[in-house]
Amino acid sequence: MIEVRRLSKRYGAVLAVDEISFTVGRGEIVGLLGRNGAGKTTTMRILTTYLAPTSGRSTLAGHDVLDEPLEVRRHVGYLPENVPLYPEMRVREYLKFRAKLKDVPRSKRRTAIDHVIERCKLEDVRDRILGQLSKGYRQRVGLAEAMIHDPDILILDEPTAGLDPIQIREVRALIRELGDKHTILLSTHIMSEVEAVCGRVIIIAEGRIALDDQLANLQTEPSIVLEARGPADAIRGALETTPGVARVTVTQRMDGCATFEVRTHNDADLREALAQRVVQNGWPLRQLDRKHTTLEDRFIRAVTVETSSEVQREREAG
Amino acid sequence: MRHVLTLTRRELGAYFLSPMAFLILLAFQAIACINFWDLVDRLSRHQQGLTSLSDPMNVYVSGSTPFWIAILVAVPALTMRLIAEERRSGTIETLLTIPVTETEVVVAKWLAGLMMFWIMLLPFVVYLPFLYFQAKFYFDVGPLISLAIGLSTLGMMFVAIGVFFSSLTRNQIIAAIWTFLLLFMFILLTMLVYFYAVSAQLSWAEAMRFVAVLNQVQTFGTGRLDIRFVSLHLSVCVFMLYLTVKVLETRRAQ
Repeated sequence: MIEVRRLSKRYGAVLAVDEISFTVGRGEIVGLLGRNGAGKTTTMRILTTYLAPTSGRSTLAGHDVLDEPLEVRRHVGYLPENVPLYPEMRVREYLKFRAKLKDVPRSKRRTAIDHVIERCKLEDVRDRILGQLSKGYRQRVGLAEAMIHDPDILILDEPTAGLDPIQIREVRALIRELGDKHTILLSTHIMSEVEAVCGRVIIIAEGRIALDDQLANLQTEPSIVLEARGPADAIRGALETTPGVARVTVTQRMDGCATFEVRTHNDADLREALAQRVVQNGWPLRQLDRKHTTLEDRFIRAVTVETSSEVQREREAG
Repeated sequence: MRHVLTLTRRELGAYFLSPMAFLILLAFQAIACINFWDLVDRLSRHQQGLTSLSDPMNVYVSGSTPFWIAILVAVPALTMRLIAEERRSGTIETLLTIPVTETEVVVAKWLAGLMMFWIMLLPFVVYLPFLYFQAKFYFDVGPLISLAIGLSTLGMMFVAIGVFFSSLTRNQIIAAIWTFLLLFMFILLTMLVYFYAVSAQLSWAEAMRFVAVLNQVQTFGTGRLDIRFVSLHLSVCVFMLYLTVKVLETRRAQ
């Protein structure tokens, strides 16, 4: 449904998006995760044809954003960040206005409006003035507006920003429901949101893709964290030869101590065997823990690795 | 172009849901009232044979100073928010990510501004039937029609200028000031420069007279519908709208 190839966007001297590539299949709900200023909104603005990319291509529903912007727009429903609305219009009037602009045929307009009002639970405010609505209702009006022409693709920029916990749950439930008919790309900087709604996550850091994987692969990754004093390579060798260990990586070296991340076959809990192994060799054991890598860890790691390599590169250059 | 009507209707709704439209209407109503008083006063003196009044429409509309001052203030006030406000509030993003072209947006905004311009001049029409039927002053309808056409094309040009400056900024005040400056040049500066050129007997004095809006409208008011003026207005108008569309399109590549 969405295909992005080596997409870049440059604002003057700032490279906001740097050659990102990804594809999203029909019916997927993909979360675009990243810190503020990582390039999420810019990516979405390019996909919705609001901005033109500096280089690279992207096609939505088979139409290129540069060659056929109007066709792309027909297939995309977009909820911009902060939900800009005309403050003087009423909810129903606004939805009717947008339905007309989006070429919803006259005969279907009424049912389309009633349908989105019902889906987004806007019955109570249908005749209220948009400028007087609370943040939660504004967000829902934006969502209703995005799906009024029943698009194949929904692009939602921070759909739950500024909502209270109950509204967040409602909106998430709504997005999950929409996922069976629409392809959804949503952005957020809240990790738990991705876990609650999305099937797949793309982490963007400094305009580049730091991670792109199914959520299922990310959550079930138990690993053993081990810290010991001694020669890092020797310890690593000893750990690797322990039966049942699949992979050992050194995550940190400091003052003669080293931290390792141990992956085991079949996610077996080898803490006791590993402890024995280390102690037998006379290396003092400082820490031993088994943990599930959460999405948050992966996010922080992806983002910090990205920035530290950036710092390194700058050092080498300077 | 099928979205233009929908967009224009929303734009007009926005005008009448804020006090702006009513304030401007009130101002023009007051000016029309005073000018009509003045016209009737002069006409009654004319009947006593004291003054001659060859073109009453010019006394009533285009020859009066308050009318031009009001135009100079009202046109920027009407056009300043058209695109600048959408840019400030971010609604432009919702407008240009649906199957609507930049041209449709610009034409709709311009049309809404133009309609407000016409509505703004309506108070002047209100008094004329009284003069014709009540006071039994059978004025010539020809100059009235040519003045209406001339003021319309002039309005098209002015509103297009306003829409253009509104597209350049997200600050309404800046848009209004630029529009005011340009209209000021068209209305007053051209006339002053023309007077200077005539007094210095410069060769381009005639060219300056041609672009001076005051002179153009004076001509329309006497019943001469000069197609050269009309085509000048229309070509500036189209050019300005074209530039506005280009401004909106370059936003994508910024």
